Amino acid sequence: MEHLQVTDLHVEFGGLRAVDGLSFDVKQGEILCLLGPNGAGKSTTLDLICGKTQPTGGSIRVNGVEVSRLLEFRRARLGIGRKFQVPSVYKELTVVENLSVARSRRPGIWHALTRLSLRPSKDVDNILELVGLTEKSQDLAGNLSHGETQWLEIAMLLAQDSRLILMDEPTAGMTIQETQRTAEIFRSLSGSHTLIVVEHDMSFVRNVADRIIVMNRGTKLAEGSIAEIETNEDVKTAYLGH
Amino acid sequence: MNSRFYYDLIALAVFCAVIFLGVPALMSYDGFELNTFARYLSLAIVSMALALSWGTAGLLNLGQAATFGMGAYAMAMHLKLKVSDGLPDFMGWNNVEKLPLVWVPFESLSFTLLAGLLVPAAVGGLIAIFMFRARIAGVFVAVITLAFLVAFQLLVIEQQGFTGGQNGLTGLAPLTLAGWTVDTYSVSFYYLVAGCLTVALALGVYISHSKFGLILRAIREDADRTRFFGYNVATYQTVIFCVSAALAGWAGMLYTLVLEFASPTYMGVSFSLAIVIWCAVGGRESVLAAAVGAIIVNLLEGRLSDVFVEGWHMLLGIVFVLVVMFMPRGIYGVIVDVVRRLNEARRGGRQDSAEDALLPATIQTNRER
Ligand SMILES: Nc1ncnc2c1ncn2[C@@H]1O[C@H](COP(=O)(O)OP(=O)(O)OP(=O)(O)O)[C@@H](O)[C@H]1O
Ligand SMILES: [Mg+2]
Repeated sequence: MEHLQVTDLHVEFGGLRAVDGLSFDVKQGEILCLLGPNGAGKSTTLDLICGKTQPTGGSIRVNGVEVSRLLEFRRARLGIGRKFQVPSVYKELTVVENLSVARSRRPGIWHALTRLSLRPSKDVDNILELVGLTEKSQDLAGNLSHGETQWLEIAMLLAQDSRLILMDEPTAGMTIQETQRTAEIFRSLSGSHTLIVVEHDMSFVRNVADRIIVMNRGTKLAEGSIAEIETNEDVKTAYLGH
Repeated sequence: MNSRFYYDLIALAVFCAVIFLGVPALMSYDGFELNTFARYLSLAIVSMALALSWGTAGLLNLGQAATFGMGAYAMAMHLKLKVSDGLPDFMGWNNVEKLPLVWVPFESLSFTLLAGLLVPAAVGGLIAIFMFRARIAGVFVAVITLAFLVAFQLLVIEQQGFTGGQNGLTGLAPLTLAGWTVDTYSVSFYYLVAGCLTVALALGVYISHSKFGLILRAIREDADRTRFFGYNVATYQTVIFCVSAALAGWAGMLYTLVLEFASPTYMGVSFSLAIVIWCAVGGRESVLAAAVGAIIVNLLEGRLSDVFVEGWHMLLGIVFVLVVMFMPRGIYGVIVDVVRRLNEARRGGRQDSAEDALLPATIQTNRER
């Protein structure tokens, strides 16, 4: 069963074709890794799926529903979650407050008006434990280190619990151990969640990817298993230059 | 229950004790003095209303005086009808022969009270929908609301036959509330206004600590990020704008009662900017601080404007500039900082003391162990 179907997607930024006729599918519960050199259009592809950027052409279907004309919050409510390349957490809120905002299964105004903001929650405690931020739960997010900020945003996506999660370079700035922990967490999500992960760290990709797509200049250069990608001539050329 | 909520409730209780017990005793239950203080308390409501939209949601509404004025005029229209025999006097002078249709329902007090809340809310809501659907933010919100304020005041002044024009609505009857004729120079009237402020503050504290308030703070910091969590940002912003406008209207109604007239100066730019100053001086992040800011500045104005007759506005302006430069979070920010320093020093001293009951919320420790 296809969770996401992207067909002939296009976007132009003042003449630059950042995404140029891209098509791919992602199956339910699969982890797809998106690779490609700098400026290949990976982040832009995620932007198009979550609604940050409007496509100039093509279609994006989630569970068969066309979403490419929907506003961001509607797509989020259809189960699309996004982690950004530059970690975006709320620096002026505490760690638990960040998670409380992210826990948005009922995003309506009435629900928000009839709840106190920080009811103790087992879910949030578990997530904090999982990402190792329990001790810092009352700290302002602005006081966290870069690595902790990455963890916080990952934790926020776990709290949001979207079915389709778009992760843009989640392990940037993490230690080797932290990267391994992230891989474990992602593997435990697969099956119940569908993930698209943009990553440069090949050992991480080897650990988590069910399938890989390599992009270059806004188009799909290659697709397949890690072994297939590593022996692909086009991919070698794209990464090494001409 | 989390500690920040707990401290806000304590602060609210202390504040209520001061305005209900302390102030009347200090003024030896003198009706005249208490009337002046009731004026400050009604202005505190409009200041805390601004704190909700500006402090919590980051929407600087420079048109707060317009919604305040709507409430003030709603009340004044009711009281004017009570004193007039069919047609208010100024209408006759302006060759208006029949009571205009919009005036008719203001015969009823219930309608007036509802209109004083709902008309500002509806107008605020309309402007908000138009702005926030289009994702207008930051300084443009201030510009648009200011433009609305100016246009609205002009309209009120122009429509002399309906509004009394430049003179406003004067010569009003006293309010009769369920058989009680309100004497604005009485202690009970003071308690009425203090009660209204308490209710408004309780509502404000609740909103600040609800999930709604949390989402507004998230929107203030990063509206786009918040959309990706599925929140309809425009709806959240519109609702807080409406609530804030309704509270301003409520304050306006009380203000008319205190001063016994309504004037278009209530909808003036300088009045609207004054509200911003009170809110900033007290601290816009806290509704309670914003209310205290309004009371302090007005108290000072009452005492000092006799001394510096003409210079008062300049003094106020200078104070505002100093506040923005040296204490951008207002008095509230200063207190929060001082308490945090004290606690850090104390925690350094005796780690295992059980007597850290005065820990404020901003302290970043997890006490629920
Ligand atoms: N909003 C924008 N306006 C103009 N150009 C943009 C915009 N966003 C991206 N681009 C351009 O589109 C191209 C693709 O950018 P994108 O961020 O998707 O690359 P990427 O594959 O994520 O690269 P990286 O590995 O460096 O993150 C780049 O040339 C970039 O400069
Ligand atoms: Mg990128």
